[in-house]
Amino acid sequence: MTSLLRAELLKLRTTRTFAALVAAALVLSLLVVVLTGLLSDDWTEENTRGLFAADFTGLFIMLLGIIGMAGEWRHRTITGTFLAAPNRVRLLAAKGLSYAVAGVVLSLIVTVTIMVVGTVILASRGIDTLSLATLLDVLWRNLLVSALVGALGVGVGALLRNQVVAIIGVLLIGFVVDPALFALVPEVAAYSPTGGAPGGIIGIDAFGDTDTDTLLAPGVAVLVMFGWIAAFFAAAGARLRGGDLV
Amino acid sequence: MAPVEISGLSKRFSGVLAVNDLSFEIEAGRVTGFLGPNGAGKSTTLRALLGLIRPTAGTATFGGRRYEELERPSTQVGAVLEDASFHPGRTARNHLRVLAATGDHAFERVDAVLADVGLSDAADRRVGGYSMGMKQRLGIAAALLGDPEVLILDEPTNGLDPPGIAWMRGLVREQAERGRAVLISSHLLAEVAQSVDDVVVISHGELRARGTLEDVLGGDEGLVTVVRAQDDDRLARALQDAGHPVQRSGDGLLVPGVSPEEVGVVAGDAGVYLVGLAPQVRSLEQAFFALTGDKG
Repeated sequence: MTSLLRAELLKLRTTRTFAALVAAALVLSLLVVVLTGLLSDDWTEENTRGLFAADFTGLFIMLLGIIGMAGEWRHRTITGTFLAAPNRVRLLAAKGLSYAVAGVVLSLIVTVTIMVVGTVILASRGIDTLSLATLLDVLWRNLLVSALVGALGVGVGALLRNQVVAIIGVLLIGFVVDPALFALVPEVAAYSPTGGAPGGIIGIDAFGDTDTDTLLAPGVAVLVMFGWIAAFFAAAGARLRGGDLV
Repeated sequence: MAPVEISGLSKRFSGVLAVNDLSFEIEAGRVTGFLGPNGAGKSTTLRALLGLIRPTAGTATFGGRRYEELERPSTQVGAVLEDASFHPGRTARNHLRVLAATGDHAFERVDAVLADVGLSDAADRRVGGYSMGMKQRLGIAAALLGDPEVLILDEPTNGLDPPGIAWMRGLVREQAERGRAVLISSHLLAEVAQSVDDVVVISHGELRARGTLEDVLGGDEGLVTVVRAQDDDRLARALQDAGHPVQRSGDGLLVPGVSPEEVGVVAGDAGVYLVGLAPQVRSLEQAFFALTGDKG
């Protein structure tokens, strides 16, 4: 399992897609923090907390997870991958775990960067910043969300296998369906794996609100995410185990 | 136990029987040609052997174990399938490093196999820019990474230029001389005839012939010896006296069903000097077409 994990992390790091999406996550997160930090005048502790939770790693690591798994079919590398690692379920687990690890590392870099930059900007404007304990609280939530959605992305990619369909589907759900559900039936939206449940862990809903009653408690949200991941992996694992690779 | 053993293997896809009750073994230290026309079931057989598809019936094993049951399979089996593909954005070196990490091989092996296949200079180029022949070489480098006991090559000369084909022949012979079992599937008979010791011929998913190259070349008509002597008439009489059938041909005698060694003994006993003695065999293509029913 260690070998597989090492191989998957190496695989992840050795394409330009990874570098491009990592750069995009960092730039987008920094852009939001810099612009909001410089232009906004409405600074409560909750708002500052929300600013530092603006880590876009979750979105990009999920896309990377989808690409990393569904891309095996797109580039027809899945045959070589299965020859090297014939236990398909173990391979799926290793891939999920590697994207979870990558999510944690990437989120650590992005979150710490935006916290440093955001704190400098706010301090230069004479605005109160967050305590170290609060910053650490935001940090672990960001890391946890990135790890969970990274693994989820692998599960989605393994189940659907069509990279384009999977990416468009996830983006549609995240940016159209989730906000619509939050507006119409927030109690249902709170369980969404692309919006409500990660939002419950971080404490922000689909509209960026931090003081909302519609979100799940963080512990419950984590369990819901584990449930979604388990469901996708079980379905993908069953499809992988039984299927012929012709 | 044979390095590769296929026993009663059948595979049905949506009602179509792609492979039907196929059985054969391959031996260590020999190159076996797995021959048949396109659509004969060669790739299906290899994929079943490599655990990529589930057989409908029968087994396909390496030393008695299915591919999925092998520990560190890259040390036991190296395979290059016809549709081998690579991530176009990854360099050859990184592609091999990923496989080395999966199989717990030292990264030094990557440089070694890159040198073996002549890709050292192109190792840090992205595979998307590789020619088909270079990709074929990279696939072989990947297969050799774990220095496996069994090497399986599916249509290995596809995309190779003549020097590449000659290189491939040398590689498979070298692997066999090192005691490896090598299985080469091909529909291009001329390209494997110079490399193989044994052949397994299939058509429409069924076994048509198996044995040494010479056995199968002899085909169902058996061996015919062509002989020329200083005195053909005397030799013909000696052969007939020994109970062998003799036919006249333009440039000597044809002796069906008798080996050149036996003809030589008869000639020696009769004191007839020979000026030519050789087996007349059908071309591999002729034998192949006869076995498979393919008109070529």
